[in-house]
Amino acid sequence: MNAVDIRNLSKTFKSSLRAKPLLAVRDVSLQIPEGQVYGLIGPNGSGKSTTMKALLGLLAPTSGSCHVFGHDSLKVDSRKDIGFLPENPYFHKHLTGEETVRFFGKLCGLRGKILKEKTKEMLDLVSLTAAKDRRLGGYSKGMLQRIGLAQALVQDPRLIVLDEPTAGVDPIGSREIRDLILSFKERGMTVFLCSHLLEQVQEVCDTVGIIFQGELVNQGSIEELTSIEEQTEFILENASEALLHQITELVKSSSDATILRTGKPKTTLERLFIETARSRNH
Amino acid sequence: MTFFSPSRIWVITANTFTQLVRMKVFYFLIAFAILCAGLNLLEFDTGATETSEQKLRSVKSLSFFIIRSFSIVFAIAATAILIPKDIEERTLYTILCKPVPRLDYLTGKFLGVFLLMSVAIAAMSLLLNGIIHYHTVAAMVEETARFHTAGASEQTIALRMQELSRYGVTWSLQYASLAILMEATLIAGVALLISTFSSSTLFTIVSTVVIFFIGHFQADAREYYLSKQSLGESGGTTYLTQLVAILFPDLQLFGVSDGLLKGKTISLAQMGQLALTMLLQCGMYLALSWFAFRKKEF
Repeated sequence: MNAVDIRNLSKTFKSSLRAKPLLAVRDVSLQIPEGQVYGLIGPNGSGKSTTMKALLGLLAPTSGSCHVFGHDSLKVDSRKDIGFLPENPYFHKHLTGEETVRFFGKLCGLRGKILKEKTKEMLDLVSLTAAKDRRLGGYSKGMLQRIGLAQALVQDPRLIVLDEPTAGVDPIGSREIRDLILSFKERGMTVFLCSHLLEQVQEVCDTVGIIFQGELVNQGSIEELTSIEEQTEFILENASEALLHQITELVKSSSDATILRTGKPKTTLERLFIETARSRNH
Repeated sequence: MTFFSPSRIWVITANTFTQLVRMKVFYFLIAFAILCAGLNLLEFDTGATETSEQKLRSVKSLSFFIIRSFSIVFAIAATAILIPKDIEERTLYTILCKPVPRLDYLTGKFLGVFLLMSVAIAAMSLLLNGIIHYHTVAAMVEETARFHTAGASEQTIALRMQELSRYGVTWSLQYASLAILMEATLIAGVALLISTFSSSTLFTIVSTVVIFFIGHFQADAREYYLSKQSLGESGGTTYLTQLVAILFPDLQLFGVSDGLLKGKTISLAQMGQLALTMLLQCGMYLALSWFAFRKKEF
């Protein structure tokens, strides 16, 4: 059984009498097998959030259907297995971090010792144990994102839906969230991720869908979508000038192959930032 | 998965209560206490020619007016902001994405406001009881001294004290406070219903205030409609009054404190009837709220 099964989803928003109705999503179909990480990417206003809200039962499809582990997403039952982290999550500012996780745990039916243990486990997981007694009104954006993850995971859901999970989070926090997503996958959880940060999606997702102006225009595994079939890349370590010359000459002697680019591989600015920050901390 | 879970509703009720308490809404009780004490002192300074009964009636009248005004304003404002605030701040997304039926959410929010109003009205009533008790004792002391000076018998004085105590702290006084709570709860139900389909908090507040005023004429509209119906008459005005009688709550029913001020006593049976009316009407408003909210899109 697929964790997520969206079939021919279309959503039209009725507007005022004069304006034309807005077709936000058109005939979108996607299936996510259990245990996979699926990334839905697209520019702002392309229909990512509408698709996600339909999956969460916050919107009713105009046509088509959404199912989560076989349950119709419009039924409350389907939400037992879903953990959702909204973009820029805002929780009740009057609650502390611990009270927030407890509140959402209670909504999922957790009580007593299990709730207590689960709350502690979640706060540890997102590294907020030290700030558990502070009210959310005083949390930074990154901390809110992390408490959002804690509440999403509190009932051990089988499907995690993440809407721009690293929006507004610094590179280190962003890396931690990415590591968490990879750990969900290791634990067998299914992840549905909406983002417009392509590099992030590429790093964590097994399958990617590209949505543009409400239509799913491309879909496939990262390998399928990002490989350039007619090109080959190899990175050498400690190669001498002579060897490099030999390789170049060999390629030149070939009638079909051409060297497009040679040079030193570069680290990313993000990796450089994280390494610098870590070395300063130690 | 149960459709209606008391434990889940309680979780939302407690959260709503905490939310409102931490929004420091109870600070208005301090304003209430100062207002009550100040106005009561003023009343006594200017009412030198009044009898003891009239003085006690004035104290009650003023205090009930303040309690009622605070309760209605509180019921409307607190209920009107709850759901729009959750939508605006997107806290509703995270709640409804958990296995929470929308009826449970609405009921929890409503009961949270009810719980807070109960605590607030209980605190105000406690203060009212204190003020009334203070003035009753003062009136008794004053009357006893006056009767002794006039050479009245102990039996006459005892009868007079018994008479005065009817204007003091009585069960009817507590019932009148309870009726204010019921009226405020009903108004909160109306505000909840409007907030489920309204697009702004201001609209919810204004509409609920209008309904509150209409509610005080509902009984007249009903009487008019029934009298016309018994005469077999029909027409635009009859249909309009019929509509008012069906759609709007009869808030005159809950004005038992007015009767109390006129010296009437309030019976337990009367309170039972009021409670039943309130429960039925609140149930109706909650059901209508759920109907409007169940397929609302966010």
